[in-house]
Amino acid sequence: MDKQGNENLSELLARFMNEQDARQAADDIEKGDKLLSRYPAHEPGEEALARIKGRVAQALNQRHAIGIRRRVWAVAAAAAVVLLASALTLKLFERQPTPTERARYASVIPASVWDGNDIKTDDVDIAVMVAEIETIENELFALNLDDDGGNGNGAVGDLEIELMEVGGDFWKG
Amino acid sequence: MPQHDLERIIKGAKKGDHDCFSQLVDIYAKRCFGYFFRLTGNRHSSEDLLSQLFVKLVEKIGTYKGGNFDSWLFAMASNVFHDYLRFKHRQTRLLEEHSRRIELEPVHVESPDGDELDKLQDALSKLDSDVREIIIMRFYSQLPFKEMAQIRREPIGTTLSKVHRGLRKLRELME
Repeated sequence: MDKQGNENLSELLARFMNEQDARQAADDIEKGDKLLSRYPAHEPGEEALARIKGRVAQALNQRHAIGIRRRVWAVAAAAAVVLLASALTLKLFERQPTPTERARYASVIPASVWDGNDIKTDDVDIAVMVAEIETIENELFALNLDDDGGNGNGAVGDLEIELMEVGGDFWKG
Repeated sequence: MPQHDLERIIKGAKKGDHDCFSQLVDIYAKRCFGYFFRLTGNRHSSEDLLSQLFVKLVEKIGTYKGGNFDSWLFAMASNVFHDYLRFKHRQTRLLEEHSRRIELEPVHVESPDGDELDKLQDALSKLDSDVREIIIMRFYSQLPFKEMAQIRREPIGTTLSKVHRGLRKLRELME
C-alpha cells in the first residue's frame, strides 16, 4: 500500500466534511483495509501462470506477423498507386492531339488563307469573291425572270462556268 | 520495484520483447488475479480473465503514453471484467430462453467452485456491485483516490464516499 500511503486521507476527507467526521471516515477506511488484508485472495497457480505466459508469447508472435503483413500490404498499396498513376499519366499523354493532326484537319481549307499574314491581299481576295457572288446573284435573278436575252441555256452554262472559276480562284488563294 | 526498472520493462514490452512481458506477468499477476477473484469468486474465471488481460496488454501496450502504469493496467482490467459480465449476462439470457423453450424451470448459473468462497467473499457479494468493484479495485490496485476517481470518471468526493460507506457496511456484515 505504498502508493496509497502517500496520500493524506484525513486531509483529503476534510475537503468534503468537518474535521471530526473526516477523522472518523479515515478511521473507517483504515479498519476496512485491515479487514480486507486479513482475507487474502487465492493466488494464480504456477500452471496457470505458465499457460498465460504461453498465450502472451502466442499473441506477441501474432502481433509480429500482423505487423509484417501490414507492412507488406502498405508497400503493395503504394506500388499499386504508383502503377495506377503512371498508367493514367501515359493515357492522358496518348489522348493529347498532336500538332500534325491539327495541321491535317486545317488543310481542308487553303493553307494560304490560314497561314498567310498578308491581311491586305486576303481582303482583296474576299472583295473579289463578294463581287463575283453578287454578279452570280444578279444572273440568277435574271434567270428567274427569264431575262437571258433569248438564250436561256447559254446563261445557265455561263453560270456554271463562273461558279467553277470562283471556286477554283478561292481555293487557289 | 524501483520505478526506473518498471519503466525499462515497459519500454522493452512496447518493443515486443518476450522477457519483458513475462516480467510484467510476474509483477502484476498476483494483484490482478486477486482483483478478478474477489469480483467473480471463481478461480477458473479469474485465471481466464487474467489471461485475457495480459493478451490485451500485448495488443494495447503501444497506446500506453506514460503516466501511472498501475492505473492504466487496472482500468484495462476493469474493462475486461465488464466485458466478462456482459458475456455472462448474454449467456444467462440464452440459457433462460432455452429453458423456456423446453418448458423447464430456468437454470440458475452458479459458480462451479462455490466452496472456495470465504466469509469475506460472502460479505462482498452482499454489497452493491458498483461499491464492491470500487473497494476491490482500490485494495488490489493500491491506487490513491485521485487515480481511482480518474479511472471511474467521477468526482473524487463520490469515490471517497462510496469507499467509505462500502467499507463500513462490509465491517458490519463481517461482525
